[in-house]
Amino acid sequence: MTVAALQPSAAADSIAAIECRSIRKAFPGVVALDDVSLSIRRGEIHALLGQNGAGKSTLVKVLTGVYQPDEGEIRIAGETVRLRDVRDAEAKGIAIVHQDQQLIAQFDVTSNALLGNEIVRLGGLLDRDAMNRKVLSALDRVAADFSPTTLVRDLSVAQRAQVAIAAALMRNPTALILDEPTASLSDKEAERLFDIIRKLRAEGVTIIYISHYLDEVLNLVDRITVLRDGKLVATAPVADISRGEVVKMIVGREIAQLYPKEQVSIGAPLLEVRGLSQGTALRGIDLTVRAGEILGIAGLVGAGRSELAMTLVGALPRDGGTVTLGGRPSNPADPRRAKRDGFALIPEDRRHEGLITELTVRDNLTLPNIARWSRFGLLNLRRERAAARELVTRLDIQPPSIKPITRNLSGGNQQKIVVGRWLTGDARVFLFDEPTTGVDVGSKIEIYRQMVELARLGAAVIFISSDFEEIAAMCDRTIVMRRGRIARVIDDQAEATPEALLYWASGSVEGDKADDVLNAADSAGRASPLADFLARWGTVLGMLLTLAVIAALAPQFLSLGNIFDVLKQGSVLAFIALGLTVVLIAGGFDMSAGATSQFAANVAAGTLLAGFGSAAAIVIGGVLGFAVGIINAALILIFRIPAFVATLGMMFVIMGATLLYNGGQALTLSNLPAFFFLGQGYVGPVPFVFILLVAMTFALHVVLKRTRLGLRMYAVGQNEAAALLRGIDRRRYVLASCALGGLVLGFAGVILSAYSYGASALATGVDFLISALAAAFLGSTISRAGELDVIGTVAAAIFLASLSNGLILMGVSNQALPGIQGIVLVLSISLGLIRRRAIGQVLIF
Amino acid sequence: MQSAATRRPVDTLLFEQLRAYGPAFGMLAVLLLFAVLKPSFASFANIGNVLHQSVILIIMAFGLSVVMAMRGVDLSIAQIADGAGLLAAVLMLHHQPLWLVITAPLAFGTLIGLINGFLIAYVGIPAIIGTLGMMFVVRSGELLVTNGAEPQILFTLPRGLTRNFFFIGQGSIGPISALVLLGVVIFAVMMIVTTVTTFARRSRAVGGNARAAYLAGVDVRAVFAGGFVLAGLLSSIAGVALVSRTSIAMPRGAEPYLLDAFAAVYLGTLLSRRADITIWGTLIGALFITFLGNGLTLLGLGAPYRYALNGGFILLAMAIGALKRKT
Repeated sequence: MTVAALQPSAAADSIAAIECRSIRKAFPGVVALDDVSLSIRRGEIHALLGQNGAGKSTLVKVLTGVYQPDEGEIRIAGETVRLRDVRDAEAKGIAIVHQDQQLIAQFDVTSNALLGNEIVRLGGLLDRDAMNRKVLSALDRVAADFSPTTLVRDLSVAQRAQVAIAAALMRNPTALILDEPTASLSDKEAERLFDIIRKLRAEGVTIIYISHYLDEVLNLVDRITVLRDGKLVATAPVADISRGEVVKMIVGREIAQLYPKEQVSIGAPLLEVRGLSQGTALRGIDLTVRAGEILGIAGLVGAGRSELAMTLVGALPRDGGTVTLGGRPSNPADPRRAKRDGFALIPEDRRHEGLITELTVRDNLTLPNIARWSRFGLLNLRRERAAARELVTRLDIQPPSIKPITRNLSGGNQQKIVVGRWLTGDARVFLFDEPTTGVDVGSKIEIYRQMVELARLGAAVIFISSDFEEIAAMCDRTIVMRRGRIARVIDDQAEATPEALLYWASGSVEGDKADDVLNAADSAGRASPLADFLARWGTVLGMLLTLAVIAALAPQFLSLGNIFDVLKQGSVLAFIALGLTVVLIAGGFDMSAGATSQFAANVAAGTLLAGFGSAAAIVIGGVLGFAVGIINAALILIFRIPAFVATLGMMFVIMGATLLYNGGQALTLSNLPAFFFLGQGYVGPVPFVFILLVAMTFALHVVLKRTRLGLRMYAVGQNEAAALLRGIDRRRYVLASCALGGLVLGFAGVILSAYSYGASALATGVDFLISALAAAFLGSTISRAGELDVIGTVAAAIFLASLSNGLILMGVSNQALPGIQGIVLVLSISLGLIRRRAIGQVLIF
Repeated sequence: MQSAATRRPVDTLLFEQLRAYGPAFGMLAVLLLFAVLKPSFASFANIGNVLHQSVILIIMAFGLSVVMAMRGVDLSIAQIADGAGLLAAVLMLHHQPLWLVITAPLAFGTLIGLINGFLIAYVGIPAIIGTLGMMFVVRSGELLVTNGAEPQILFTLPRGLTRNFFFIGQGSIGPISALVLLGVVIFAVMMIVTTVTTFARRSRAVGGNARAAYLAGVDVRAVFAGGFVLAGLLSSIAGVALVSRTSIAMPRGAEPYLLDAFAAVYLGTLLSRRADITIWGTLIGALFITFLGNGLTLLGLGAPYRYALNGGFILLAMAIGALKRKT
């Protein structure tokens, strides 16, 4: 090796942007970083290289303030610093762009880029022009071809990466860390990104670049640092070093552990895959696995390894290609049918996709083939228990019991359960997706043994891993994947050394020209203009069409008098829907909205009956709603009660309080013309309540869309993780949402009592709630980003009122109206779900 | 939990006991308080009467608990019960045979459950919205059928015609009322359905982690939809039983049961060690809610107190549940 580790003292470059001195970081049982010293020169592109577990991500987390080092110090521009958290690291000049950028899809580029660092004028009003200008200049630096006002959800993955880099640049970082920026980009997009990075270097930006792809690293960066097993192997300029040497440094030479590989007799081909493709993740995969064979699939992040497994079991839709298993064609629509075909998947993410961690060992072990121990759906518990016990013994699961909750088991034992649950069925092809990540050495060997055992029994095993050492040692043949294609088939396993695997996995593949064709096909297949138009304007068209039909059938519908009538009728509901919308933006859910307004209506009427006057009634109604909002927020934030349940409980309490307050009697008001004017008065031909509504909507629109407060409320509601990364305190905005919404609901109650000359005794809160929910959700389908929006809410509320009015004019019974509203509610939600196909679980419990 | 146990064994043991049995003691204490304030509360006749009354709520809460254990929610159960009861009453008034009077409403409940399940599990509409919409659709249907909420009165029919139908809600076998027996049978069936069936295992998996269940080859959509079908069927049984008990079908008459059923399910979570939703817990929760309502009525406290206490208990149950999960 021609490279010597650079001594810190030798890095007496007075121009070091970042310097790490003897950084050490240990976790229970493992030293993640051991005496790591390196210096990043100002204005260079510096790559961090190493296998999974080498310590790269720990070093990055130390540099960005996520972890505190146990020993050693960090210097930024010569000064020793302590980085307390991500925000602190950012303030001190280290910005990071993550592999999966946390952006808020419904926001435009400007709002995303400046979230947490908004430019505001007096009174918290956003200075949109200044923000757009600032973002535009940052976008220019990354050669973006889209405008700052584009919605992020309309951008491609590559464009989102540009947004994330631009956002990081705006903080003028001393150093910018790019973490696997090309993992999900096509080669062409990656090439453009490299141009941008080179341009930034020319401008003097210091960049720390993390990637597994050696070719791009060697073409792009100035110097590399290689980590292995938590230690720094070397820092060297790329000019002085060959690719082969880098590979050697990354892989190392010592054999870390023993592999229980055994030769078993290999039979006929069991699984044959031809031309399998899936979006851009898989581009024509051919492979054959024979009975008794362990086929290794080596590949780096973004190579399409997991997608291959998911496509085989039908969890991702297949775009083309054929699969035959034991001579029979297999094209499963979901993992259940794949199970019948003979596939067994051991997913990569054990805790989230493999196990059901709240359930016991027994429940997990027998889940996939539970029908095996049942007759007419009734379980034979004795036989089922015996089967689970037998598996626990066979797999040597510790503790040797079928009772523990799997959450509390070690990673290795958890993995054994995920493997074990397929052993009770007829699975013949086992897909192991990164089975040994986060597993101790003893359990690793146990998992390898299981693979050999399965092969011995005549199963075909596919072993997907980015740990090339284990692939080299355990497999009979190996396929290397890169960017959705097979980069290399190695039939003679002796050639599949870790070095060779890394060489092929990180290199470039021939035939990338086909990329362009594929990409063109992708963009064409994405969505037709008509579908786009319908997705954007379909609801509005539907509404207009509905109104047109009503107008045709009942001509008096469009008379001026009737229109103003409708506006008046719709306004009260619109007020309640406005309040609900504000709560929904960041507060989660609100079951208590209708009940709150009704309570406020009662209290306002009671205040007037007691002779305190209109002003007192308005103030007390508003304060009451505000107080309910604060209590809701407290229940959600302090007691951590899910919003749905908290507000459901509050709904009960408020309904009880209302009935206590009015004693089960309607509170009827009379002779209060000034107060009634709020709900029933006219200014010229226009109902006064509608004027109030317009004013309120305008005020809320300004608060929600033009101020920092509103922007952050939306951010918290739409993507909590992204908001958190920008240092936004969720609690403050949940509270703001509940309190402001509560205030509006309180006022809505006052208006309600003015409109209906008092307050009814019946608990009609739930009826208001459904109408308001219908208005809020229908309104959200009108807005450009499909987000909750006060103007959309009001338009939808008026539409619902028109619909009721029109239907009555047409002679439809008013008893049918709630049902029609219910149908409108369900339909308006379905519109937004056309492309999503999850089940409607209530994730807020 | 384990680390705490090694540190302070005595304290934690007491704490554990309190946590395990505290809520049950709390419920008992409330009921004892009623018994002290109103001795007639604890009379044999009153207890029998309350048990009789509680069956309707218990059956509906069972359905809700199955759905909620899978992280769904069904706001339409009360309306389904209403609709089913109304259907039974209308069929009685038209002198239809008893088998039709009973099976048609159950078919109705199952059908609504199927629609709910389709919308929520297959189309993907959030359960809150889908069942809220269904609640209003069914309500409109009821209002249209009864010409604006006219009650369907059965007690004016000739006794010979109604005797068999009324037996469900008003008859008794020996000293035990038929309705309580029905409740016991449904409880037993639900215990079986939620513990020793493939549906039980699969629905627990869906509630625990739908993605992992899907990848393990569970038909997640069918299982989730199945919960709504079960809830619809149980609600319709409750609705028929309610009409049989009261001899009258009031449109929207079953609506208060929705909120009570929520309270019952949430209270029920207090009785399980890890705040799980169980049939046992729901049974106790529903019994407590009914006794609470009865006690309040005996004390002369009406609906407002019931609402407020129900809401308060839900919030209390969730706050304690959050504590349980944290430690």
